[in-house]
Amino acid sequence: MTATIQLKGVSKFFGNIIALKDISFEAHKGEVTALLGDNGAGKSTLIKCLSGVHTPDEGEILIEGKPVKFGSPRQAAAAGIGTVYQDLALQPLMSVSRNFFLGREISKGLFLDLNKMSEVTRQEMAKLGIDVADPNQPIGTLSGGQRQTLAIARAIYFGAKVLILDEPTSALGQKQQLEVLRTVNEVRNRNDIAIIFITHNDLHARLIGDRFTFLNRGRILADGTKSEIDPDNLRNLMAGGAELAELEAELKN
Amino acid sequence: MEDERLRKVGALQTFVSRPELGSVFGLAIIVITFMTLTSISGTFSAMWTNPIGIQAWVELAAFVGILGIGASLLMIAGEFDLSMGANIALAGHSFALLLLFGVPVVPAIFLTFVELAILGYIIGSIVVRTGLPSFIVTLGFWFASRGFAVFLSQTLVNQSRLSVKTQLKPPAGGGEDPTLIDNIFAFDKAFGLPFDAEVYYFVILVIITAFMLHRTRYGNWIYAAGGDAQAARAVGVPVNRVKISLFMVSTCLACLLGILTVMTSGASDPKAGDFRELHAIAAAVIGGCALMGGYGSVIGAVLGALIFAIASRGINFVPFIDNNLFRVMLGFLVLGAALLNQFLRNRVLRG
Repeated sequence: MTATIQLKGVSKFFGNIIALKDISFEAHKGEVTALLGDNGAGKSTLIKCLSGVHTPDEGEILIEGKPVKFGSPRQAAAAGIGTVYQDLALQPLMSVSRNFFLGREISKGLFLDLNKMSEVTRQEMAKLGIDVADPNQPIGTLSGGQRQTLAIARAIYFGAKVLILDEPTSALGQKQQLEVLRTVNEVRNRNDIAIIFITHNDLHARLIGDRFTFLNRGRILADGTKSEIDPDNLRNLMAGGAELAELEAELKN
Repeated sequence: MEDERLRKVGALQTFVSRPELGSVFGLAIIVITFMTLTSISGTFSAMWTNPIGIQAWVELAAFVGILGIGASLLMIAGEFDLSMGANIALAGHSFALLLLFGVPVVPAIFLTFVELAILGYIIGSIVVRTGLPSFIVTLGFWFASRGFAVFLSQTLVNQSRLSVKTQLKPPAGGGEDPTLIDNIFAFDKAFGLPFDAEVYYFVILVIITAFMLHRTRYGNWIYAAGGDAQAARAVGVPVNRVKISLFMVSTCLACLLGILTVMTSGASDPKAGDFRELHAIAAAVIGGCALMGGYGSVIGAVLGALIFAIASRGINFVPFIDNNLFRVMLGFLVLGAALLNQFLRNRVLRG
């Protein structure tokens, strides 16, 4: 099966700094590829390469087997890359449905088709398991997890084949984190979208991931599918194994 | 926030979360207050039933309200235009000078609108390119626009107040047939309508802008530009173009008022529109616009302008209250409205 998105030897340099070196991984539709790494591992740079903010200096990106080059986030979006950033790009005082369609509103003649917009918003949110009673309510009435779902539903509705989730659980409370994981699972069950799930939470990665890629200091430390990687090893890989053992020894003294 | 599902909200709560709510109460309080005060001083009919009395506050409300439309649109987009009042004088003087140099009325109107639209484009471009607060940029134009207008007229015709009575045909009331332009800009006199033309322009502009703001994608983008500009850009909203276009709306509204004032009075005064920018901003704030942007409505600015005008003119009908006390009252009115609106807005944010 051709990967929905595949990276081959991607590198990115900023002056003399090697931000990413020789990154290769793939994501398939109906699967969650967990991208793990500590702060500074290069996760953000990698997302920016995928979503068209940066252009890689080496290597290539293939979508459904065809090499692509993005000059802007708009081109990446047109090619089917939907990125949900941590801050979600939502308008706090605007209604749920207006947020959903912001920048891509449905108009009937001169005027917005508000009924259609509400209807679609309700349907798309329902597909991800969230029942929006009134899409005309301000977004402030949604919980953090529901807002995350809205951003995901929006990306899917506007044609994402690859859904990039940038630390979707890190800013949320425990209960809402689970809500988001449930949403991610709903998207996986659609079987037509490849999900790239960026996180530094090994527990969440273990719960939801089908493939794992570990980044450390701009390089791939380890990768593999769920069956290939020993789940108990996840935490060690995350914390950089040896360093954790070192700290443990230090604390015991 | 911890709710699994959204709460259903009733019609009452939907009404409570409208930005205009504060100004609806404000207007009711002001009307009741002045009806009571005028009853006490025996001037009730002079203010509320006599046509001249009604004209006094309705026409002021229209003048402030037209600027208030621009002020509220800009504030919703997170910007600010202090130069509106000065641009009225610039437009009036430009128009009058063109007439004095023999340009016919219709091209003179057209050229003045072009000039002010370009000015709005320049102001808007400076704001979005430099990232300076629009408060500072338009403070610069607050000095520059009026200064330039008076400099031009003094240099070119050695006058600061420009009379163009002979250049403008007297409208219908004056005995001659109204010209085309009287029908467009001073149609109140041409058709013998009870109010100045401003009032009708105001009503039309409010309807157009209110629909635009709530029912078109451009309106949606105005809210987004002021709510969270970065988030708006991330989903493809042309934030800079929206802001520049709104500065152009603001200067063109000032232009309309400048030209109407000259058409009505037959002269352009260098003090025309003085302090009106502050009155318009007060109307927008009373009407529920948030200084930080992303929240507000044109209808609110209409109510704000009515509140301002009733309080402002009403004081003349209540001789037992000192005129200076009126300013005190107006000051507290703006403060009180801003506080009430902030409270209501936070309720919306929290849900």
